[in-house]
Amino acid sequence: MLNRRSFLKKTSIGAGLLAAGSFPLESFAGSREKKITILHTNDVHSRLDPFPNDGGKLAGMGGVAARAELISQIRGECDNVLLLDAGDMLQGTPYFNMYKGEPEIKAMTMMGYDACTMGNHDFDAGIDGFARLLSFAGFPVLVANYDFTNTPLEHKTAPYTIIKKGGLKIGIFGLGIELEGLVSGAAFGNTKYNNPIPVAKAVSEKLKRDEKCDMVICLSHLGYEYETNKISDKTIAKETEYIDLIIGGHTHTFLDSPATERNAGGGETLINQVGWGGVRLGRLDYVFHSGKNPELYKSHSVNINKETSG
Amino acid sequence: MRLRLLYTSILLLAVTGCHKPYYISQHSNRHYAVGKDGKTDSSYTRFLAPYKLRMDSTMQVVIGRTDTNLTKAQPECTLGNFVADAMLQAAKQRNSNVDAAVCNYGGMRIPYINAGNITVGRMYELMPFDNALTIVEVPGKILIQWCNHMAAMKGWPVSGISYLLQDGAAEYIRINQQPIDENKIYLIATNDYLATGGDKCSFLTPLKATPVNLFIRDILIDYVKALHKDNKPLHPYIEKRVRYAE
Repeated sequence: MLNRRSFLKKTSIGAGLLAAGSFPLESFAGSREKKITILHTNDVHSRLDPFPNDGGKLAGMGGVAARAELISQIRGECDNVLLLDAGDMLQGTPYFNMYKGEPEIKAMTMMGYDACTMGNHDFDAGIDGFARLLSFAGFPVLVANYDFTNTPLEHKTAPYTIIKKGGLKIGIFGLGIELEGLVSGAAFGNTKYNNPIPVAKAVSEKLKRDEKCDMVICLSHLGYEYETNKISDKTIAKETEYIDLIIGGHTHTFLDSPATERNAGGGETLINQVGWGGVRLGRLDYVFHSGKNPELYKSHSVNINKETSG
Repeated sequence: MRLRLLYTSILLLAVTGCHKPYYISQHSNRHYAVGKDGKTDSSYTRFLAPYKLRMDSTMQVVIGRTDTNLTKAQPECTLGNFVADAMLQAAKQRNSNVDAAVCNYGGMRIPYINAGNITVGRMYELMPFDNALTIVEVPGKILIQWCNHMAAMKGWPVSGISYLLQDGAAEYIRINQQPIDENKIYLIATNDYLATGGDKCSFLTPLKATPVNLFIRDILIDYVKALHKDNKPLHPYIEKRVRYAE
């Protein structure tokens, strides 16, 4: 409850929220306020164990046993939790060399991940190797801009999913990075990479306008930003209109708080990324209201970041 | 009153049958340092135990030591010099005419190895990919292009090559202390990932490449073991192979 307490304390409208929280119809579909908590990782790279205690910067950090404990603590405090990963789950420790991803995917399933996207290193056991792992995955692999026709992954991934939680409809889709020059042709086989910009525009519009999702999340392995004109999360945020949040990966960027971009619709798109190796777990708490004038609500956001604990 | 409101909402839902829209009104964020408080869920430790047991029996074996902190940095670093030197040595053992070695910076997957013992597992973490050593026949002109590519990427590990970084390009390129002869064919040891065009090295793909049936990781393991056998630690140092122009 610590987070909720400090949240209330630090918000000027805390009293209003408190009142809304005790509203008698809160649990019904017609209640005015709804909440969701998003937890996320990226580029865990097979770090099932903590980093070795060798006196280095990351010594003792990370590991699935610590991450799982933290996640269950948060689940105990918040009703509606989504747990997401932005790719490169695999490759980087001898676990992967020996077991080709089985314990990584099994541990994620035990932790109750809701969805992930595919990173370039998730091709490292070959496309057939990744396809085999999906039998251990209790969550969908989302990637909208790879065409897996005539590959072992055909019909085994999805461009997006819609999760209904706490009376909210959350649309989640995935974007993968250009494979040519990054992943060996033998590993990605017949996978066809499509430009993520038009794909992101079309899928996010579908989720928001046709499917009427209350929130659209993009799981991206494109990378946070580049000095060149290579397509990044920043590009996607600026070029699209309907994405509320991009959970990114690939560039191993430690963002201390999410970046905010003005999107093509004039609204705000957030981008977050939590480094690599599973040493950090990201958390975003969203409050939703039903209301005729969403822009009024959107104009104020509360930021209580830079707290690191757990 | 409350009851009426409830009935109205049920009626509305029944009539419309669709999801009532909600709008984001606020958001907040924080992050957690995983493992900082030392609390773990022991069921995961139990789940990992059988995987770990088999893995550790192979990976915890000490193969040698380093008396220097090996760090990953650009333009030149101790970790990179160790990798490139080991690659060049292994290539020369198979073909003494090999001129130099090049490795991609992103191919090294850990930020440091502290001074002390080196285990098999640490080498797997440094070089987890099953990439094989490959000897590529590179015309001088293409080698200059490659050095410029490395410079644009802010410096990659090399052995037998040196250059200055200036405005994102490579200047004063030397191969074994000599300027590059544009018409000569150089034998460069690298990994099959780069030789097949990885990390934007598409200029290498048309060249003749001879694969050596050796993983880069095994080359590193053998290099550390051989030094250890002679009672020597690893001791790479920065020797201005790649440096910024003053």
